[in-house]
Amino acid sequence: MESDIEMELESDNDGEYDDDYDYYNTGEDCDVERLDPKRADPEYFEYDCLTVEDIEKLLNELVEKLNTILQITPSLAKVLLLEHQWNNTVVVEKYRQDANALLVTARIKPPTSSADAASTSAAAAAQLLKMGSSGYKAPPAVGGNANTPPYRSQMCPVCASSQLGDKFYSLACGHSFCKDCWTMYFETQIFQGISIQIGCMAPMCNVRVPEDLVLTLVTRPVMRDKYQQFAFKDYVKSHPELRFCPGPNCQIIVQSSEISAKRAICKVCRTGFCFKCGMDYHAPTDCQVIKKWLTKCADDSETANYISAHTKDCPKCHICIEKNGGCNHMQCFNCKHDFCWMCLGDWKTHGSEYYECSRYKDNPNIANESVHVQAREALKKYLHYYERWENHSKSLKLEQQTIERLRQRINTKVMNGSGTWIDWQYLFNAAGLLAKCRYTLQYTYPYAYYMEAGSRKNLFEYQQAQLEAEIENLSWKIERAETTDLGDLENQMDIAEKRRTTLLKDFFPVAV
Amino acid sequence: MANMAVSRIKREFKEVMRSEEIVQCSIKIELVNDSWTELRGEIAGPPDTPYEGGKFVLEIKVPETYPFNPPKVRFITRIWHPNISSVTGAICLDILKDNWAAAMTLRTVLLSLQALLAAAEPDDPQDAVVAYQFKDKHELFLMTAKHWTNAYAGGPHTFPDCDSKIQRLKDMGIEEHDARAVLSKENWNLEKATECLFS
Repeated sequence: MESDIEMELESDNDGEYDDDYDYYNTGEDCDVERLDPKRADPEYFEYDCLTVEDIEKLLNELVEKLNTILQITPSLAKVLLLEHQWNNTVVVEKYRQDANALLVTARIKPPTSSADAASTSAAAAAQLLKMGSSGYKAPPAVGGNANTPPYRSQMCPVCASSQLGDKFYSLACGHSFCKDCWTMYFETQIFQGISIQIGCMAPMCNVRVPEDLVLTLVTRPVMRDKYQQFAFKDYVKSHPELRFCPGPNCQIIVQSSEISAKRAICKVCRTGFCFKCGMDYHAPTDCQVIKKWLTKCADDSETANYISAHTKDCPKCHICIEKNGGCNHMQCFNCKHDFCWMCLGDWKTHGSEYYECSRYKDNPNIANESVHVQAREALKKYLHYYERWENHSKSLKLEQQTIERLRQRINTKVMNGSGTWIDWQYLFNAAGLLAKCRYTLQYTYPYAYYMEAGSRKNLFEYQQAQLEAEIENLSWKIERAETTDLGDLENQMDIAEKRRTTLLKDFFPVAV
Repeated sequence: MANMAVSRIKREFKEVMRSEEIVQCSIKIELVNDSWTELRGEIAGPPDTPYEGGKFVLEIKVPETYPFNPPKVRFITRIWHPNISSVTGAICLDILKDNWAAAMTLRTVLLSLQALLAAAEPDDPQDAVVAYQFKDKHELFLMTAKHWTNAYAGGPHTFPDCDSKIQRLKDMGIEEHDARAVLSKENWNLEKATECLFS
C-alpha cells in the first residue's frame, strides 16, 4: 500500500512534493502505521490463498533444496520431507546424526538386525539414497561372457512365472518381483486411493515404494494422473502450514506460517474456516473444546430438541408464538407484551446494563445432593447452554430471510417517499455486522459450558451478557430503523463490535 | 477372470496339495467350479484348543484382482470364536484385510486361520458377544466352543446339560440352531434365553 502511494506520487509530481499531496499522504500513512493490526484486532490473521500450481512450485523448491544438500533423488527427498513435516533442517540434522535410523523410520529401508548393523554404515545409506530409478533393477551377473546371457532366469513369487532377471525390480529390502506384477499391483493400489503409502509386496515387509518406481512402471495416463493427484493430497496434508479449502469443489490451498485457530476465508469461494482444525470458525472456543461440544450436541440433541420446542407461549396472554427472526426482544402480536425469548421475563428488566438472561447460575448446594439430582442438574446446565447455542445458530440461519425482509421494508419506505435507496444502504452494513457479532456470541456458549466456575468465568459471563445485550439492541434497532437513525445505529454498531473484540482479546486463546 | 489370478490359484492349489499339512490332514482344499473363482478349504481344529477334533469348512472367493487383493474367506461351518461371527462366519484377520501381501498364498491363509483358532484376539472382536464371554466367563466360553465344535464340526466332547437345555427349547417349537445360539449368548441360562426368545 505504501509503495503504491509513493509510485503514484512520483509519477504525478516527478518527485516534487506538492503541498496538498504531502498533507494528504502523510495523513494516510500515519493512520496505517499507527494501527498495528496484530494488537488492534484479536482475529487478525495473515494467510495466502494459493493455487495447486503455486503449491507444486513451493513443494518442489523444498525438494530441490534437500537434493542439493544431501545429494539424493527427488523421490526419496519427498518421502523424507513428508515424514518430517517438510522441515528441511530436521531432515538434514537427523541424516547427519544417524542416516540409517532416518531411512528405517521413513520406511525407505527395512529395519536391520543388530548383527548386520555394522555393515550398513552411513556410506551404505548414502549409496541407497543416490540410486535413481535404475537402482531398483538387479545388476547384471558378474563375469557374463558372450555365450551366457547377462541375466539369469528367475521366478516371480507373485505371478509364479519364470522370466529373465532384467525384468525384475526390488526395493531396499531386496524382495524381487517382476515388472508386470509391480505394475498391476500399483494400479490396484492407486485404484483404492493409496499412493505414497504403497508398500512392498512381500509378507510382513513395510518398505515404501518411492514415487519414481511407480511412475517408471505405471504407463497408463489415467492411473499416473490419479497417482499424482493422491500423492499431492498427501503431501499437502502432511505440510503443517497448508490447508485445503473445505469449500465444495474448491481447488484453493490456504497457507499461513501462523498455525492457530484463526479464521481463514477462501478468496475464491468465500468459505470461512478455522485454519487449525478445518471446521467452522469457532472463536473464542478452541479446537478441542468445540469438537467435544459438537459431539456432545450430536449425542444429546434428541433430548435437547424434545425439551426446547420450537415455539413458546407468551408469558402474559399465553398465545403460542413461533420465533421467525433474529431478535430476542419479542413483542407479542396479540397483547403487545414485550418480553425476552430466552427467559420469558419482562423485557424492561433486560434494558439495564446487566443482562441476567445469559448467565447460568450454578447451584452451590449441588455437591450435597443425590446422584439423581446431580444428573438432572447436569442436564439442566447443558440445556441452558445448548438452548442459547441453538437459538443463535437458528437466528443466523434466518439471516438471509432477515436481509430479504429488510430489502422489502426499504422498498416500501422508498416508495412512500421516505428517503432514497441510497439513504437506506447503511442498514445492510448493520445487518452484516450483526451476523458477525451473533456468530461470535454463538461460539461463546460452548466456551462457557466447559469453563470452571470462578472469577474468570464470572468475568467471561459478564462480558458475554454485555455482548448479548448490545446485539439484541442492535437487532431491535435494525428492524425498526428510520433514515434519521443513521447516527444512533452506527453508534450501536460500534458498541457491539467493541464488546465483541474485547471479549475475544481477553479470552480467545490464540490472540496476541 | 484375469489370467494372473487363474495361474496363481492353480499354482497355489498344487502347493497346498503337495504340502506337509495335507499329509497330516490338517488342511485341505478343493474346487467348487471350473473357473477357479471359488474354492472350498478345510482346516482341522488345532490340538489343545476347544476346536480340537473338529473339521471346519471355509468358503474362499478369489477376486478378479487376485493376488493384489486378498481372497474373500468365510467359515461355512458354524464356530464359537471371538474373531469369527457366530451368525455369518465372517472373519476378522489382518492378513485378509490391510495386511494382505501379494506374495502370500492360499496355504499361508489356511495356516493363519488355523493359528487364529489357537490364539484368539478378544480385544479386536468380530463377534462382541463371544468376545465378552471369552474375557469374562472363560470356562463357559471353553464349554460353548467345545459344544459347537461337537455339534457342527464333528468334535468329540459332548455336554448332556447343554443338549437337554436345547431340547427344552426345541419342545417349545424353537429351531435347534436358534436355541443353541440364544443359550450360548445368554451363558446357558435357560430362563434368560426363554425370556429373550419370547419377549
